[in-house]
Amino acid sequence: MRDVFIAGAAVHPFGKHRGTPADELGYLAVSELLAGAGLRPEQVDAGFGGSVYGGSLLAQRVLQRVGVSGQAVYTVENACASGASAVHLAWQTVAGGFADCVVAFGAENLSSLGGGTLPLTTADIEIAQGMVMPAAYAMRAQRYLHDWGAAVDDLTNVSVKNRRNGADNPRAHFQSEVGADEVESSRPVADPLRLMHCCPNSDGAAAVLLCSEQFAEKMAAPTVRVAASVVRSGQFSTGYRDMTWPDITDRTAAEAYRQSGFGPDDLDLVELHDAFAIAELLHAEALGIAERGKAHVALASGQFDRDGRVAVSPSGGLLSRGHPVGATGVAQLCESYWQLTGQAGALQVAGAQVALTHVTGGGIFGVDNGACSVHILSTR
Amino acid sequence: MTDDRKAHPMPGHSAHRTGYLPPTGNVVAAGDFLTDGTRAVLRITRCRDCGSAWFPARTQCSTCASRNVVAELTPDTGTVYASTVVQIAPPGFQAPYVLSYTDIGDVRALTHASTDAALPPGTAVQVRLTTIGADYNGPVLSYGVAPIGDQS
Repeated sequence: MRDVFIAGAAVHPFGKHRGTPADELGYLAVSELLAGAGLRPEQVDAGFGGSVYGGSLLAQRVLQRVGVSGQAVYTVENACASGASAVHLAWQTVAGGFADCVVAFGAENLSSLGGGTLPLTTADIEIAQGMVMPAAYAMRAQRYLHDWGAAVDDLTNVSVKNRRNGADNPRAHFQSEVGADEVESSRPVADPLRLMHCCPNSDGAAAVLLCSEQFAEKMAAPTVRVAASVVRSGQFSTGYRDMTWPDITDRTAAEAYRQSGFGPDDLDLVELHDAFAIAELLHAEALGIAERGKAHVALASGQFDRDGRVAVSPSGGLLSRGHPVGATGVAQLCESYWQLTGQAGALQVAGAQVALTHVTGGGIFGVDNGACSVHILSTR
Repeated sequence: MTDDRKAHPMPGHSAHRTGYLPPTGNVVAAGDFLTDGTRAVLRITRCRDCGSAWFPARTQCSTCASRNVVAELTPDTGTVYASTVVQIAPPGFQAPYVLSYTDIGDVRALTHASTDAALPPGTAVQVRLTTIGADYNGPVLSYGVAPIGDQS
């Protein structure tokens, strides 16, 4: 396998873009990516586009707008890990020597689906009983608080930190800080979660350029190495499961650490899947950056702040950036690319050299999540 | 050759429990449980090769892929693993309603709970025929849970 590098990133700012469909959002991100990289369409060997609700052949509909047509192009659906899965497939293609330069993007328009919770469309036994994503995370939250002696304040701390981080991010859906009182008096969604413990349904797109070392050397843009790229699926069981331990994150991260040779202590920053405040605590523990049952303590003592032991969600996370589901995993990689190349501006984590990104998602029954992806990026 | 059925003995829940019949009427998951009109038991599958229990029932074990599986019924009681009050309902449901992950025998099921507040982890519950929503045909029934001793 060859080393693979990220040599460009673009995000079309997340937010409410009613009337701008996913293919248009994707086009805006990809167009900016290729213009910034100074690439001609024929230099792109393949393309992968992630989206959940974007419809058939989204990747073709986006890439043909910028002249990338005729090449191998794939549309990837893997729930909240769709975008990161598109990047993973692009990585495989370059690492395997089948391509030198590949575009991977994610694009989503959730406004077009109307308000309320994200529609779950797979008609399984839990959805038939009235399951919604906030309820799934609310039950994990109730059990975590019960098992580990945490309180609702500990969930609120996640929202307050990530909204503070996101206040400096011009690409975030929410660019304002919130106080603990505001969070805890916001509308109840699924006990104990309130509205500000939940990420917003957003519209947006993000794109990255993956290339071989040889190809990267010809480009002017700074590059970072993809030290690990992993996708795993949930392990299906309808029996007892410890829902405070996201096994899918644990297994995906373990493979990423093995692949990269890095460990949790090497990470300068982590962009993880904080779709709900509780998720940051669960995933921080499964990623190994906090002790089991102690993520809320680490967070409360500032260890996850932008200038803390390991910056967690320095871009604002899903709680600030918002969650255009198929685009989220790619946006995390864009934010991390800018961090490691010193282009993160007000979001910059001083001296950042190793970053981990993590998305996991899917409201199907019998698994933690349907799909999870972890990437590790490195300056060396 | 060992008898796998001895290695994984049936936990004594006969598939022919007296008085339990398939539910009738406006029912969600009607094929997945039996009821005596009040209490309910879930129809599950046990793998005779690896012992895994599955709900809803299936013809092939999703752990070891064996087709050597047998139908079983769960007990009519369970224990709450976690619970919440849903305040934003999907189509077909009316908020607020309480959901719980409930361990019933060897399976965990998502169940409606006939209470106003979330049930604490560890709550002992009766599995019973429960109204979980309403549609144009009237109340929608399914299996659900209520704290043991709660007759509401």
